[in-house]
Amino acid sequence: MFLALREFKHAKLRYLLVALIMILIAWLVLFVSGLAKGLSSDNASSIQNMNTDYLVLQKQADNRLNRSVISNDTLKDVRTFVSDKKSTPLGVQMTTLTKDGSAKKVDVTFFAINTNGMLAPDVAEGKMINNTTTNEVVADSSLKDNGFHLGDIVKDQASGKIFKIIGFTKEQSFSHAPVIHMNFKEWDAIHKANARGGEFFNAVALKANQDKADQIDNSVSGVDVITKSDALKGIPGYKEEQGSLIMMIAFLFVIAAVVLAVFFYVITIQKMNQFGVLKAIGAKTGYLAKNIVSQVLLLTIASLIISIALTYGVAFILPSSMPFDLSPQLVLGCSGLFLVVSVIGSLLSLYRVAKIDAIEAIGRAV
Amino acid sequence: MSDKLVLDNISKVFGDGDTSVKVLDRVSLQVKAGEFVAVVGPSGSGKSTFLSIAGALLSPTSGRIFLDNKEINKIPEQKMNRIRLEKIGFVFQSANLIPYLTVQDQLLLIPKLAGKRNKNAEKRADDLLKRLGLDHRRSHYPESLSGGERQRVAIARAWMNDPEIILADEPTASLDSERGRAVVQMLADEVKLRDKAAIMVTHDKRMLDLCDRVVYIEDGQLSEQPVNETKTS
Repeated sequence: MFLALREFKHAKLRYLLVALIMILIAWLVLFVSGLAKGLSSDNASSIQNMNTDYLVLQKQADNRLNRSVISNDTLKDVRTFVSDKKSTPLGVQMTTLTKDGSAKKVDVTFFAINTNGMLAPDVAEGKMINNTTTNEVVADSSLKDNGFHLGDIVKDQASGKIFKIIGFTKEQSFSHAPVIHMNFKEWDAIHKANARGGEFFNAVALKANQDKADQIDNSVSGVDVITKSDALKGIPGYKEEQGSLIMMIAFLFVIAAVVLAVFFYVITIQKMNQFGVLKAIGAKTGYLAKNIVSQVLLLTIASLIISIALTYGVAFILPSSMPFDLSPQLVLGCSGLFLVVSVIGSLLSLYRVAKIDAIEAIGRAV
Repeated sequence: MSDKLVLDNISKVFGDGDTSVKVLDRVSLQVKAGEFVAVVGPSGSGKSTFLSIAGALLSPTSGRIFLDNKEINKIPEQKMNRIRLEKIGFVFQSANLIPYLTVQDQLLLIPKLAGKRNKNAEKRADDLLKRLGLDHRRSHYPESLSGGERQRVAIARAWMNDPEIILADEPTASLDSERGRAVVQMLADEVKLRDKAAIMVTHDKRMLDLCDRVVYIEDGQLSEQPVNETKTS
C-alpha cells in the first residue's frame, strides 16, 4: 500500500482516466442489470411473486401458461397426490378492457383464482374480492397510471362482461400487462359463451417438494409439472428479452476485464525498470504483486462506489413507468463479480512483474 | 580489520556448449572494513557481471562468496533478496530513484521492504538527509532534483538498511566531473565514518584518487595495481 497510494498521488491523471473508464463500464453494467431486472418483473412479476413451487400444465402446452388447458378431472387426479390446500387451479387469459364511458383500450391479463387459496394476492388499496361475487375484481396498481380508480367500471372486450374494480394489488403483471384477479364464478361467466363451454382453467399451482412433483409428472397423464422459472421462460418474449440483456451484461464484464488488463499491462511495461531497481534493493515479487493488486482493487472499489451512486442517482430521476429495479443484492452481486474480473485483468501484469530480473537494474543508464 | 567481502576464485560462464562465454575467470578479491575499492575496466570486460555477483543479483558458476563472514553463494535465489535487503546497499547509474516517491519516502521504503517500520527508521532517514545536505529537499520528487542531488539521495537510500557493503555502478556516469567528484567523496566519507566497505565500478579515471585501492578488470581477469595514496580527510 505504501507504494500503491503514493503512485496514485503522483500520477493522478493517469489513474483518474483508468478510473473514469471503470466508472463508465460499471455504471453501464449496473444500469443494464437494473433494467433487465426491472423488465423481468415488469413482464412477469405475477409469476415471480406467486406463492407456489410448481405449476401443472397441459403436456402439449410447451411450458406456456396461456396455451395450456386443464380440466376439472385432471385437477382431481393431481389432488390424489397433494392436499386440496396445497394445490389450486389458475386461469390465465390475456384480453383487452375498456373503461366505462371511455373509448380507450388497455391490455390486461385475467388471473382466475380461488380467493381463499394460496394464490390470493395482497391488496394494497381497497378491498379483496371473495369467491361469491359475480362482478368484482382487484387490479394491479399500474392501471392507475392509465386513469383507473377504485370503483371504476370496466368492460371485457371479448365477452362484454362488466366488472367493478374494488381493490388494487402491487407488482402483479404478466407479459407486460397488468393482472386483474377474479374468482372462478366470474371466470366461468366470461367463458360461458365460449365454444369450449364447461369448466376449465390453464394450470394448477402446487406447493410440493421435488419428489411429489416428479410423481405427479409421471403418474397423471397429459400433464407437465414445471418450476416457476420454467413457467417464466414460457411467457411470450420473456426469454428473448432477458437473453439479450444478459448477453450485454456478460460482454460488459469481459470488456471491463480486458480494458483493465490492457491499461495495467501498459503501465507495468513502462515501469519495468523501476521494478528491476526495487527487486535489486530487496523487494520480493510478492510485495510488488501485492502493490499492483491493491492498486487494481482500490481503483475498482472507488469506481464501483461512484458508479453505484450514479446509477441510483439516474434511477431516481427516471420516470416511474420505466421498468428499473436495482436491489442491493443485485448491486452487491455485480460489484463482487466486477472485483473478481478486475483481479483477473491484473494477472497479466503480475506475470510480467514476476518475470523481471533484479539484474536489469545493473549496467542500465536509464 | 575484518574482511567485509571476500570473492574466492569466482568464475561466471554464460550459455553452454560451443556458444559459452566465460565472462569472469577465477576472480578473487578481498575488501576490508573501511575500504573503498574502485573497479576499472573497458566496457565488455565483465564489470557489470562482477558487480552483479558481488551484489547477490547473480550466482557465480563456480567459486565462493563471503559477505560479512557468511558464505552466500549457496543461498537459493529466492532468498537472495533478503541478503540484498539487509547486507547490501546499491547505488545505480543515474540514481534510479522511484519517480513517485518523495526524497524522504525513497529512504523510508527500505525499512518498509524489510518489514521494520518504526520511529528509528524515520530518525535514521532524517540523519542521513541532514548529513548529505538534502534536508531542504525531503518532500521533493526526483524530477525536481538536480543530477547530483539525485545521486546523493541514491547514496542515502543505499545506507538506509545499514549495509555491510555498498556497491556503486558508475555513480558518476550522468554527472559532470565536479559534481561526480562530490558524490564519490561523500561515498568515501561515509565508508570511513561507518567502517563499512564499498566497491565502485567506474571508468572515470578522475575519481580514482578518492579510492583506497583500484583493481583493473580486463577480459574477465582481475589484476591489482597499487594506487597513489592520496587520502581524503
